[in-house]
Amino acid sequence: MTTTAAARPTTAAGARPTPSTIQQWWVLTVRVIMPTLRNGEVVTQVAASVMFTVGFYIPLKHMMGMFAQSMSSYAQYLMPLIALQAIAFAAVSAAFRSATDSVQGIDRRFKSMPIASMTPLGARMSASMYRCSLALAVSLACGYVIGFRFYGPVAHTVGFCLGVLLIGAAMSFVGDMIGVASANPEATTHMTMLPQLIFGLMSAGVQPAERFPKWIQGFVRNQPVSQFVYALRALAGDSTPAAGAVTWPVIGPALAWVVAYAAAGIPLAIWVSRRRR
Amino acid sequence: MRNTDKAVFVAGLRKTFGDVVALRDISFQVVRGEVLGLLGPNGAGKTTTVDILSTLTRPDHGYAEVAGHDVMSDPAGVRRSIMLTGQQVALDDMLTGRENLVMFGRLQGLKKSHARSRATQLLDQFDLVQAADRAVSTYSGGMRRRIDIACGLVVRPEVVFLDEPTTGLDPRSRQSIWELVSDFKEAGIATLLTTQYLEEADTLSDRIIVIDHGTIIAEGTADELKARTGATYCEIVPRHLKDLPAVAQALGSLLPEHYRAALTTTSDRISMPAPDGPKTLLEALYHLNAAKIELLDIALRRPSLDEVFLTLTSEDSGDRYDARLAAEALR
Repeated sequence: MTTTAAARPTTAAGARPTPSTIQQWWVLTVRVIMPTLRNGEVVTQVAASVMFTVGFYIPLKHMMGMFAQSMSSYAQYLMPLIALQAIAFAAVSAAFRSATDSVQGIDRRFKSMPIASMTPLGARMSASMYRCSLALAVSLACGYVIGFRFYGPVAHTVGFCLGVLLIGAAMSFVGDMIGVASANPEATTHMTMLPQLIFGLMSAGVQPAERFPKWIQGFVRNQPVSQFVYALRALAGDSTPAAGAVTWPVIGPALAWVVAYAAAGIPLAIWVSRRRR
Repeated sequence: MRNTDKAVFVAGLRKTFGDVVALRDISFQVVRGEVLGLLGPNGAGKTTTVDILSTLTRPDHGYAEVAGHDVMSDPAGVRRSIMLTGQQVALDDMLTGRENLVMFGRLQGLKKSHARSRATQLLDQFDLVQAADRAVSTYSGGMRRRIDIACGLVVRPEVVFLDEPTTGLDPRSRQSIWELVSDFKEAGIATLLTTQYLEEADTLSDRIIVIDHGTIIAEGTADELKARTGATYCEIVPRHLKDLPAVAQALGSLLPEHYRAALTTTSDRISMPAPDGPKTLLEALYHLNAAKIELLDIALRRPSLDEVFLTLTSEDSGDRYDARLAAEALR
């Protein structure tokens, strides 16, 4: 340690620079994205999508195929759930990341710096959108390999992609807030992983709601993942009319769930920002 | 805006968290180039004070100004002028030391090239060149603390808050942090240092404020405080625990009454003020020898923080005398 360590900043700083919010947002976004390329997060994301596709498609193809509402293939039937599981996984990563920031005290430090209070959250959300885009691309690639195709007009295909990203944004926001609130990365991962599994498996994404036991059909049909699946399936289309039509009764409930997710995250966000004030 | 020319100006701060009163009526000032030590045990209100001054918490009452900016009405101005290191190192563990430095530079508005050259400079100054391109998660405790502080110096702060900067560090790392604090002083930066260690406050601070239960119980230079505390302590350990009451008896008037009162069944030694240093020790030895009490150890030493508290709280007022602290001092 040299003895002039702190004395020198005097000369180096000169006039205090004025930080720009855009630059801060970008720096904080890159901060989250950069390690994902090194610490295996991207590889894990890809592997998770592949595993999910393989794990569901191969064993269930023959068993479920015949029940799949007479769609052209089980791949076509399963695709929405593959995409949803991939973005749910991205949301779990977002939750883990925000919990880590919270527990390591870097959030606290940012708050003591000239950074607008919403900038760190904005940056984490844009990093989440990067994860969701990656998740969407990987899951579509997996879907294509097992035989999924878009059958609808371009607008529907775009709608499918935007829909997945929108659901991803809502899930990541809630996940992020849970992470910040809990400040415990391990617990957060468990807390967010479990609903992903339960809602994913107990959904119309794997098999039609009618194939579930009677007493649980109501839940299966109306829970958010199934509603997302119905909407995305209609947007993806099929060579048969069995995918459903792109109508308000099909798309509306999914959009309502997205709004509900965001609405659940906002009180959490307010609570977190008021904490200790 | 600027009401005083003090780097830190605090008047009548009060803060409660639910039922817990964290601060009651805290007032002090720090001038440029001064190191003020805020000394107190866990839960005394040190971190709450730092949190208020670094705009992380709002006070319920009172006024505080940092580098000329009111913490309530101009938090942005405060944030532009300070550096805060918390009790916990606050960095991005997944980034390298260099990346962290560049990030903090960029967050404070430096251009990329300037942030990079500044990072290189700081890595050199903080003796972290070899570890520069390793993830911070692989750093030792001392290295983490150094890079943590370095990240706060990318742009020169006017006021530095160091909240227990050496807790959990080995002596060598502690030494290097101490050197750093004396550099702040030379650079004309005002430093507010919180610590649980009297030795640390003693070595680094120009002035010390002793804080307990959210109240300032003493203020002065290290020498002034020590003079009030009694410069030296004598610690006596009998070979047999059961002899402890006999030791207390044999010491007679050498052992002040409230120290005697604080003895418990779990005590294994007696600490007492040694106002005359070696002479007090000799006297104690003489009495104990006469009482034929076998000793394991007897030594003179500097007062511990507990003893500073014991003395300060007991001289402050009789009712405020806290037997629990005394018991800890005698442990």
